[in-house]
Amino acid sequence: MAAETPPSEADADDPGSGSETVNSGRAGLKANAKWYVVSYPLFWLGLIFLVPLAMLFAFSFYVNIPGGRYEMGLTLENYARFLTSELYLGQLWLTIEIALVTAAISLLLGYPIAYYLARMERAWLRSLLLITIISSLWVTYVIRAYAWQVILASGGLLSSVGVSVGLLSEPQAFYPGYWGLIVGMVYVFLPFMILTLYSSIRNIDGELLEASKNLGAGPVRTFRRVTLPLSKNGIMSGSALVFILALGSYVLPRLLGSSAERTLPVLIEQQIMSEANYPFGAAMSIGLIVVVVAFLWVMVRFTNLTTGSLGGSETATPDGESPSSAAQSTGVGGRLRSGFGSLAAAVGLTRAVAGVGSAVNAAVTVVNAETRERVLSIASRAYAAAVMVFIAAPLAIIIAVSFTPEQFLTFPPGGFSMQWYVEFFTDPDWVLALLNSLGIAGAVAVLSTTIGGSLAFALDRFDYRWGTIFGTFGVLPILVPPVIVGVAFLVFFLELGLAGSRLSIIVAHGIFYAPFPFILISQGLREIDRTYEEAAMNLGASPGRTIRTITYPLLRANVVSGALFAFILSLNEYIIAWLLSLFLVDTIPIQIFNSLRYGYTPTIAAASVVFIVLTVVVMSSIDRMSGGIWE
Amino acid sequence: MSGITLEGVEKRYPGGVLAVKGVDIDIESGEFVTLVGPSGCGKTTTLRTIAGFEQPTDGTVSIADEVVTDLPPYERDTGMVFQDFALFPHMTIHDNVAYGMEADGGYLDEEIDARVAEMLELVELPGMGDRTPDQLSGGQQQRVALARALAPKPQALLLDEPLASLDKKLREQMQVELRRIQQEVGITTVFVTHNQEEALTMSDRIAVMNDGRFEQVGPPGEVYDDPETRFVADFLGTANIFDGTVESVADGVATVECGDTTLRARNVGSVGAGDSASVVIRPERFDLEAASTDGGTTATASEGANVFEGTITFRRHLGSSIEYHLETLAGRELVVVRRSGHDERTAGDRVSVRVGVDDCRIVEA
Repeated sequence: MAAETPPSEADADDPGSGSETVNSGRAGLKANAKWYVVSYPLFWLGLIFLVPLAMLFAFSFYVNIPGGRYEMGLTLENYARFLTSELYLGQLWLTIEIALVTAAISLLLGYPIAYYLARMERAWLRSLLLITIISSLWVTYVIRAYAWQVILASGGLLSSVGVSVGLLSEPQAFYPGYWGLIVGMVYVFLPFMILTLYSSIRNIDGELLEASKNLGAGPVRTFRRVTLPLSKNGIMSGSALVFILALGSYVLPRLLGSSAERTLPVLIEQQIMSEANYPFGAAMSIGLIVVVVAFLWVMVRFTNLTTGSLGGSETATPDGESPSSAAQSTGVGGRLRSGFGSLAAAVGLTRAVAGVGSAVNAAVTVVNAETRERVLSIASRAYAAAVMVFIAAPLAIIIAVSFTPEQFLTFPPGGFSMQWYVEFFTDPDWVLALLNSLGIAGAVAVLSTTIGGSLAFALDRFDYRWGTIFGTFGVLPILVPPVIVGVAFLVFFLELGLAGSRLSIIVAHGIFYAPFPFILISQGLREIDRTYEEAAMNLGASPGRTIRTITYPLLRANVVSGALFAFILSLNEYIIAWLLSLFLVDTIPIQIFNSLRYGYTPTIAAASVVFIVLTVVVMSSIDRMSGGIWE
Repeated sequence: MSGITLEGVEKRYPGGVLAVKGVDIDIESGEFVTLVGPSGCGKTTTLRTIAGFEQPTDGTVSIADEVVTDLPPYERDTGMVFQDFALFPHMTIHDNVAYGMEADGGYLDEEIDARVAEMLELVELPGMGDRTPDQLSGGQQQRVALARALAPKPQALLLDEPLASLDKKLREQMQVELRRIQQEVGITTVFVTHNQEEALTMSDRIAVMNDGRFEQVGPPGEVYDDPETRFVADFLGTANIFDGTVESVADGVATVECGDTTLRARNVGSVGAGDSASVVIRPERFDLEAASTDGGTTATASEGANVFEGTITFRRHLGSSIEYHLETLAGRELVVVRRSGHDERTAGDRVSVRVGVDDCRIVEA
């Protein structure tokens, strides 16, 4: 064969260097266009997001002057106060502990149901259950915490039922307190866990399980050797997600915890809104960020190590927790004792079903395989039903309460009345709050979709030297605990004189929720077969025409879903909006939260129902449009 | 007028991989040229360079005597059929076929409708305009893709393995169909395939590609019968290839020492004594007869022919012909193809095969 002449090396040029002015070969866009496209998302995510965070960092070194003022400076006083105080360190640990316990319980409760959903054969039932889980996910924490107040309060659902069946001699309050808080946290974050595990288990090829069974492994062995290892990533990311969300949660500890359960976000909010001690609030915010970053670093760095330990702690945590927390505070023993009572009451049904299920399962291993399969399937159905009740019931109770004809919250409601809806829609405060919420959410949808969409498009179409970092900017905001985003933007907008405006909330939400459209649109762009665009250009369509007639139509479901996600999240967000409102702007979550301070007027329930309906409608339209995006 | 001209086209990817190492070809207007080669040989990159999806790092591309090297795809006058057809899923068949003319902007609506109807007629799918791509079978999608590519009357038709996703029967049907339509329209066509049979049956000329360059360009019969390199002989069809050293050359006949076998072959190239060379023998060139009783040597060269003796180890029916695998006395495997129904042999038979010196082609090793 002929000897190969070495090719000329001279003109091998890196297209990323910007020296080529010709088409990029992909979408045929000019190379210099790449900086125009990316400058817009970078303006928001790089400048407008990072400047407030940098200011927050700077503020943590400022000197506080009692009375709500501060002085520029470079003092470590705030950190010293934070790190030397028994109280604050104790609360920091408590925050982490609550997040860990929440993640562990969510994993235990969530895995079986995620598995059940993933292996379910009836598609319609699966979508129904998924829609239920997902819909509850987007309803504001304020409403969901409120639902648990209704259930756990003295004279609430649980204590009324307890009294009437004779378990309790007199009405008892299960909140505020540690276990009431944990139940609320698990309730709120369990859907995240289930959905993460669900997609991970669903991705496991069914043939692998068949292969395992064909090789003689029973259900238990198949689960242990095939399913569990293959869903490891889901377990990891689900636990990490729940941990981080729980760590940054403000609303639940505030509404369901007692004064002993003031977690770091609650303390931060207090410093800012009540004490007006911005430097100290900033220092604590930095402390919380450090915890989150350290956790993420550990997750990324020691993924393999934590997989094992996480898998172990999964079963060990409920027992292993007592020694660690006993060392922490004195009231632990009492808390555990009373706690187990209320916990058992709350999740007892689920537990009992699961326990019976596994006991029955153990008993029938001697019975033939067919019977065993049937018992297993009945047990898992009962379990799934129990968890679904746990997820769906609180909102159902709110709906029932909203139709009460009585003046105070009672359960069960003694009749049917629309009066609280009339009250809601005729009270100018509520109507203004609703209009504010809708207006802000609409603007946020546009802002975050343009930010996320342009970044996704830029990263998909062009090569950037800092592409990975730009991509990180796209998801970074959602990793920062919302209370910190709120405090950082508050500091920022105070300097600009814009705090306490709708605009400030729109900007903060628009950036905070940009990751949702970013991720959805990135995914859509990746999935579009590039040859469609090539075919269009081959047929003479210019890049602009190609985007208009081919790319966008194929991407529309993702773009609109992204916008709707941002809309619904902004609509339901409390803490950022609250911090930035400076008591001047009311949204529905803020209005509900404030009303809860003065008692449980059923108007709150009516307002919540209006909001839930709004949320479900938007979520269903996302689902219909994207043709089952949850798959 | 020439259809497509490539001059010294070279493509290096950012990572430094040289996919196309300088190819030259002049395709006549209306000619059907096939680029064939194994995957990764650079044939698709070459096609995409013509379409404008890849920018050559060196060389020029001309379409209809116009240099288009620096033009983006949408300013080049080519129609491409993609491997998976790439029919726009959100548009009807009509809108797919009309897309190129609408992008052009120079057509009236009635002209577009008339042209779409005409094109669907051409590909034998009249009245299918209102359907969507997912309502069509693979073969129908293929036809629509062709109609869409031809509708704006491009200067060149580019086909990127368009038959690869069809089943065998449909593929053979489409081979004929594609060629019929191409000749009816009279359009310059470049066809890319890794399927050597497709290349041989459809083309005016074949360009066999290997490792980023053309090994041989010529009409199918010529490339098949007179391969210029060992690669071409091996890639197109079946070949018995003997690697060895040229012992002597006399009267245009080379004697090649191939280990335990000595062969004589017509030397049309420039090999001389001492060169390494390979002898290529197509399986259907052999004559097959019962073995002479004395057994004899491994291969003998007599009366202008090479003779092998051996045993049939395996036989398979190919329909119109039968393929025999032989083990020669020297232990080499030989593939022989004979017309079926004519002096058939069975496995285990001792046979003698002979092939004329003129049917033995010598190539550089």
